[in-house]
Amino acid sequence: MRDLKYLNYFEKLLQEANNELIAQAKADGKICVAYTCENVPEPLLNLGDCVSIRLSAPNTGSLDIATYYMTNLLCEPSRALLERAIEGGFNFSDCVITPDGCTMINRAVENMELLETMGKGNPKFFHEYMEIAFKNTENDVKLAVLQCKNHILNPLHERYGVDTSDAAIREAVERHNRLCRVIRQIGEFRKEAKPRITGYEFHVLCLATYVCPKYLILDKLEETLEELKTREPDDRPWRARVLLVGSEVDDSSFVKLIEEQGAFVCCDRFCFGSYPGRTEIVLNNEEGALTQICRHYIQNCQCPRMMNLEKVYDRKRYVADLAKEYNADGVIYEQVKFCDPWAYERTLGSAMLHADFGFPVLSVDRPYNIASSSGQMRTRVQAFVESIEIKNIQRGGRA
Amino acid sequence: MKTVEKIINPVPRAGEQSPGKIYDEKLKVRARREWRGVKDTFYDYTRWLYLLSVLGRFIMVPRNVKGFFRYRWMMSYLFVPHGMDKFTIGLRGEALRIAHTSFNFVIADVTQAIANCFRGDRRVGNDKAYSDKCVITDENSMVTFMMGFDRDKVHTILREVPTMFASNIFHQFNVMHYLDIAQQYGIPGDVCPMPEAEAGISIEDDFCVLGCCAVQNNTTCDGSLMGNGIIAKRLDREYGIPTFQLATPLRHKEPDVMDYAAQEIKNAIAFVEKHTGEKWDWDVYFAAAKRVNDATRCRIAQMEINSTPYPQFFGAAFSLYNDTNYMGNSGRDPNFVKIDHKLLKLAEQGYKAKRMYAREYRHRAIVWGVQPQYVIDMLYWMVQCWGVVPLTDMLSVINTDMIADTDTPENREQAYRDMAMLNMEMIMRNHTHGGYKVLLDDLWDLCEKMNADARAASTSCGSLTTCATRASLPARPSATRSTTTCAPSCARSRSTRRWRTFLTTKHTKEIAI
Amino acid sequence: MKKFLLGILWKLLLVVLGFFAVTFTMYFFNLDMKATAMVAPLLEKWYDRLERKQYI
Repeated sequence: MRDLKYLNYFEKLLQEANNELIAQAKADGKICVAYTCENVPEPLLNLGDCVSIRLSAPNTGSLDIATYYMTNLLCEPSRALLERAIEGGFNFSDCVITPDGCTMINRAVENMELLETMGKGNPKFFHEYMEIAFKNTENDVKLAVLQCKNHILNPLHERYGVDTSDAAIREAVERHNRLCRVIRQIGEFRKEAKPRITGYEFHVLCLATYVCPKYLILDKLEETLEELKTREPDDRPWRARVLLVGSEVDDSSFVKLIEEQGAFVCCDRFCFGSYPGRTEIVLNNEEGALTQICRHYIQNCQCPRMMNLEKVYDRKRYVADLAKEYNADGVIYEQVKFCDPWAYERTLGSAMLHADFGFPVLSVDRPYNIASSSGQMRTRVQAFVESIEIKNIQRGGRA
Repeated sequence: MKTVEKIINPVPRAGEQSPGKIYDEKLKVRARREWRGVKDTFYDYTRWLYLLSVLGRFIMVPRNVKGFFRYRWMMSYLFVPHGMDKFTIGLRGEALRIAHTSFNFVIADVTQAIANCFRGDRRVGNDKAYSDKCVITDENSMVTFMMGFDRDKVHTILREVPTMFASNIFHQFNVMHYLDIAQQYGIPGDVCPMPEAEAGISIEDDFCVLGCCAVQNNTTCDGSLMGNGIIAKRLDREYGIPTFQLATPLRHKEPDVMDYAAQEIKNAIAFVEKHTGEKWDWDVYFAAAKRVNDATRCRIAQMEINSTPYPQFFGAAFSLYNDTNYMGNSGRDPNFVKIDHKLLKLAEQGYKAKRMYAREYRHRAIVWGVQPQYVIDMLYWMVQCWGVVPLTDMLSVINTDMIADTDTPENREQAYRDMAMLNMEMIMRNHTHGGYKVLLDDLWDLCEKMNADARAASTSCGSLTTCATRASLPARPSATRSTTTCAPSCARSRSTRRWRTFLTTKHTKEIAI
Repeated sequence: MKKFLLGILWKLLLVVLGFFAVTFTMYFFNLDMKATAMVAPLLEKWYDRLERKQYI
């Protein structure tokens, strides 16, 4: 296929946490709101002049300093974030908002705060920690509303004078939805038998929407969507179509590695992915926007820390539905090494997707930076692709 | 760096001076029991007889024999006397009596819990009428939401306590099989072994199956929360036992979570009422609340005694009693009150006589970690071998506030908040969740309050205890010496080795792992 | 009568002493736990043989 016009541009942006667009946003007088988890309602971090930047640590190498502070039993993303913060990689942040979603990320941010890694010279800088919902009940919605007020809206208003009115929230949701629509429309092309975008390319575009100021990339994404409408797909068939599910994937090389083995990543259900993170928020006029946003996040949340059985089952059904919708031949459940929530979710999910929904499943744990042990992962994916092919042959289908 | 005055025991200690020498490495039990002088050895012997009588009475019931041969974890209970030996290493006088009084009571309580499980178990006793009045809860669950139900009408079964928690204390290798099972099904080997073992037991179908409903809690860590999903699925899908997830906020020091927590308690109570057909009784609740306050007062007094140069409450046996009382009982059983006061009386007696339990006290330590120090005998080695006195441990540092205990209309509403507060301040969770202020600032405050000059952290899970430690050290440079051991359930030698290194290294602020 | 009672007391004392001697020997030399440690591997084999319905 012909290269996408902006692919290289986006790839370059993803090489640094403190990328050139963040610098541009700072120069534009924007307030950089750093956050660490998909459970924080994103539109609230993009009110007025605020721009949300989800923290990531691309091209992570040594984790020595973070391991000293946090021990080697904690997940690599949490240590990588701390390492990057200590190195000064997140100095653009004007505040950090983090939920107590999982203990490890929470500890990482606490260490950042204790070590005063950010906010030097900015008297308005603040850290906020949020309680987030465990279940999808109205009691949880009430909790979320209160937490968003106390730990996002009020601090942003008091420190930076941000307009947190209902109208401002609705306006932020509208901008958020515009971005979601573009990403989802681009993602739709992956449903095609001969897809005109690869899983890797899509992940690069989607990832950029989390780690770059949205207002600076929206036009390029829209242009890419137009470009894709006329893009000629490759003629070569993929060996298998897989749905990638799991904990955070902010390293596109992982998706690339899977596709290099002939498995097309037809859909993404992980943190930093488009499902459920790029789902439009539909607002009505009967209820306050904040409450509706909170309800949207709670109902759509696919994070394993949601503990009621309805949610436990729903997460697997959601994956199965996506697999059907995107014509996946198999599912890859992945987990970053030492991640407790996904360790269990991966086990239960891979068992249920196979037993209850009949999908072939590859269940793997992986390092944060896939380059550090790509050989093992390659072998696992190759074997999985071959097993899918053998199943297809046994069913009388294509190899 | 802070130091404390070394105290030499003026009274010669009767009996063994080196308890390690009587350990049989091959059989993993003692070659013989400890000689503690005539009086204390005889006392220990009578307590051993008592334990045998408890176990003997249990096994005389036919369904318990059936259960014994059905459930692998039951094998651990053959090692109960060994567990008691482990928890009385080097103890004499009042401390020995405190260990026996507290832990023998816990053993009797656990034995009754097993008997109750077998009575209702569909595979063993199958007493359906009984099972229909049982509510199953987690091992690490605070049972405040059951405080207002009559114990004779609704039975609370902490199903995972006898199955995993207690059995692992007596026999450290008990959980290995279940960990293997869990890992065979794909759970990685790097998660906390406690919830992983519980998940393994569920996968292996080695839990008793009983109860009209179950209440699970996001207890102390991410692993515990997630393991519940696997267990709940089996309860729900295979056994048809409705399961309620009682969500408890993590940032429990923030006032903006209280309404949510109180509402969750109300929902849990409504769930139990629906499935048991029994009604919440405020008289029962406030009677239990009075006992909770009484236990709190006793616990405060215990901490005060341990803050003096002559602490009297030693080791895991006492801590486990406190945990059982606070969390598994929550004021529901009046028998705990008598034991509380008996323990306090013994301690006061020992304190007045300035009784010491080692040849010398060189350091005073707070043990800041999770359950591993219960399973291993680290605390006893600390004091006997190196004179490091374990003053208290993280799991024993729990709520010290009184709750409303008189029945008024206002207090009935307050009661939900009190139950929510107790639930949020559950053992372990009150320090492992809520940020570094409760994880570390509380520790340094405690070090100052209890005049400690050392801190030992033992943990089986990195996310909980050790991770933020180093970052906060510069904030309180005067605090303590510090060492951290990673102590999964069967790593006695590793942790003791680390302690030896710690104590023999001079001018060391912190030993790197 | 007195002799009879003394005889019973004497026998009772012998029983108590015998009980004490046996149980104290068991206690002091930890025979109960040594026996348990030897029986445990056999029990493990028993539990290994039982059919289980493993299910996640």
